[in-house]
Parts: sequence; structure tokens; C-alpha cells
Amino acid sequence: MTETTGSDDPIYNRLLAALPAGEYRRLLPDLEQTPLTYGESLYDPGDAIAYVYFPNSGIVSLLAAAQDEAMLEVGIVGREGMIGIAAFLGVKTSSSRAVVQGHGFALRMKTAAFLAECRKSEMLSRLLKRFTQSLFAQISQSAVCYRFHPAEDRLARWLMMTFDRMDTNEIYLTQEFLSNMLGVRREAVNKSAVILQQQELISYSRGNITITNREGLETKACRCYAVIKTEEKSFPVK
Amino acid sequence: MRAAKHTDDPRMNHLLAALPGDEFDRLKTDLEPVSLALGKVIYESGEQLEYIYFPTTAIISLLYIMENGSTAEIGMAGNDGLVGIALFMGGSTTPNRAVVQSAGNAFRLRSKALLDEFQKSGEFHDILLRYTQYLMTQISQTAACNRLHSVEQRLCRWLLNTHDLLQTNKLIMTHDLIANMLGVRREGVSIAAGNLQREELIKYVRGTITIFDRKGLESITCECYKVVKEEYDRLLGKYISKNS
Repeated sequence: MTETTGSDDPIYNRLLAALPAGEYRRLLPDLEQTPLTYGESLYDPGDAIAYVYFPNSGIVSLLAAAQDEAMLEVGIVGREGMIGIAAFLGVKTSSSRAVVQGHGFALRMKTAAFLAECRKSEMLSRLLKRFTQSLFAQISQSAVCYRFHPAEDRLARWLMMTFDRMDTNEIYLTQEFLSNMLGVRREAVNKSAVILQQQELISYSRGNITITNREGLETKACRCYAVIKTEEKSFPVK
Repeated sequence: MRAAKHTDDPRMNHLLAALPGDEFDRLKTDLEPVSLALGKVIYESGEQLEYIYFPTTAIISLLYIMENGSTAEIGMAGNDGLVGIALFMGGSTTPNRAVVQSAGNAFRLRSKALLDEFQKSGEFHDILLRYTQYLMTQISQTAACNRLHSVEQRLCRWLLNTHDLLQTNKLIMTHDLIANMLGVRREGVSIAAGNLQREELIKYVRGTITIFDRKGLESITCECYKVVKEEYDRLLGKYISKNS
């Protein structure tokens, strides 16, 4: 199922792409391609972080414990980042859940090999620190977004962030999934989706969401979207 | 700005106390004592950071400022932590405001001295990174808490967190200050505080909240309080307990 990636394969993951060629070549033998399957959990709270994942496509949601076993999304990571940042920060087990929210592929690396490389490569370590900062900003933004913004604006932001990371205009999502993402009841998810549909920003049927007016959706999204995007752009990618 | 001095032992801060002797000795002379007044802004959102702060008796809040001026606290640090992770994570600016929530003392360290020691990759380095992970958990939990839990539960959580960082049962707090922290209207705080007072868990008189019944607050608050506490112990406990 998994295979080691070749040096000629295109690298879409922005962290890996930003590495100097020599450092990237050194990583290659340890990177293996793995599919990201919708709904698959990469870590659950308490799991050992066996691998770190660099998505080439697809998206992973980071969820915090909410109540009665429920989880709530606090961040999204796609090809701009890495899943398993806790390992980089020196922690062996995950405190959050990371679940695939948009299918795709990732390059994964065993944690021990990854940590050894972090010690060797100053650039990798620098990029990961910057990514941690950016994730930190995103999670902070989520905290206030949940406090202040109406569900449909949050849905619009969430869709924008998702579509930015997926090379498609259509995604499949259940109401239950969205309900966990947005921290609202299913009825409220439905209501928010209907509002965005009435404004002709998306079309929504049986879990398929198609974006029909990207600019409109961006305008509808709460300001958190722009703030997070600015932070991501400030990355020193090269 | 001329900073007021104090004579606290830097090791009243648990992270500094957790350092091995040689690492602490290298930092010691660069740790500058500062006394911080209530409401003092340590840094503004987007501002270049010059210092990292290790509180001993002060509490510093990380506040998020919305475009319309509304604020909400996303995290707090007292003698259990530090303020200014952007300095060692390479960002050097930060998307939040840091403001003194409870007056007291701290030690600050200039960026250069911080990075010199951080780059030695000793325990200082490890502790700072682990603290970053802890702060991420704290903020993640605050996100979930903001969405799901009542003002009363969140007020209890906030009072417990503050109480944990202070050496007293009396907290100098106005409802306005708490409202800005919780991101709710002042009336919301007054109602929630009124409920807690009727249940004889706290008493609020003219800007002072006295905590009577911690256990009572713990029974009302949401699980977020415990989740974050346990995460601190899990991530930093082995360092902290070793030296205390």
C-alpha cells in the first residue's frame, strides 16, 4: 500500500518543497507515500505518535476534546504543513485527534527518523517552528471565532480554508461531520448551508458541497479567514 | 520605560526552577526583575517582541483583539509558564496582546540571551518547546470551551486557573476585566458571579473576589479545567517535580 517516494516525484507539500535540495534528498529514503482516506484517524488522544505526515494533497482536521466524548475542530492542516507537530515539540503521545477530512496523499516519516533529521537540518527545524507559529495563530483564531462569529460565517470560512487546500470545487461531507467541525447542532449546520445556498455561494445536496461563487464565499467568511491566510503567507517558504 | 525592581527568586517560576544548575547559572545574570502593574500591556498584537517573560507572582493574559475591539482571553501564564513563545519559534511578532491580569513580579530575558541558551538544545530548549505544546492545548481547549460551555462554567474555570497561579484567596478583579477575558458582556459576568455568590462559593465586593469554596467551583466548571491541568502535568510534570 505504501511506497517510498522517488526523487523525481513532484512535492506539493510546502514544508518539504522549501527544503534545500540536499536536505530533501537526505529525507527521501525515510519518506513513504500513504493515502489519506476520508474519515481516517491519524492519531487519537493518548496515541503514540508513530509517524509524522506531510500532506501532498488532502486535509486533516485537528480536534480538541469537547464533552461526552465529542470533539471540536480547532485547526486544519493541508499541504502547507505537517501533522504530528507535538513530536517536534518533544512529546511522544498525541493529546488531540487528527482526522482526515479531505482525501489525498501524504508523505509520512517514522517519528524517530524525523526527530533525528530535525537535529541535523536547521532549515527543517526552522520551517517547523514557523509552521508551529502559524498553527498557533490558527488555533487562537478558532478560539475567538467560536466565541464571536455566527455559524454561517464560520461555515463560509471553513469551506474557504478547505477548498484552498483541495484541488477541487466539490467536497463530500456529512452533516454530522460538519456539526463537529463547527460546534453546532446538525439543524444549525443545515440552516447555515441553506443560507449560503440562498446567497448562491454554494450548492449543497446530499452531503456534496460545490462552491459556485468563490469571491462571494470569501466575502461572507468571517475575518478570521483573512487573518489566517496572512499569517500563512508570512511564512519564509524559501 | 523604567521597570520597577523586586527581589523574588527567579526559581519561583516553575519553568526556571526546572532547569539544571548549569543552565540556570548561565541565564541568571540576564534575568531582569520587573514589577508589573495591573492592566500593563506587555506587548501588542503585531508588535516586535524584545523580551520573554517568566512571571513569579504576576499573571499575564493572552488576549485576542477582534477588529471591532471585542477581546477574549485565549490563554494565561503565571508562575507555571512564560510569555513570548514567538521569540524562540522564530516569528518574533505575535497575533495577540499580552496584558497583566494580576499585578505582580516577573523576570524578563532579552531575545539574544534567550536564543543563545535555546540554541544549546539543553533542557531549557526542551522545556520551552514542551511549554509551547502545552499552550497550544490550552488555547485549543479554550476554543472548544468558548463554543460549548456556559458563562458560569467558564467563569469558574477562569477563577480556578487564576487561583492556581496566585498565593491568595483574594483576587483583585472587576467585572469589566473578567468580561473582557471571557468575551462576554459585563451583565453576563454579573449574573454568573451573582449565582456563584448565592451558592456561597465566592464573594464579590468592590473589585475583590474572595474564593470560599474551591471544591464547589470545581464541581460546577466544565471538564476543560481538568483537561488542561492534566496536560500540564503530562508535558511538564517530569521537569517540574524533579527539582521541587
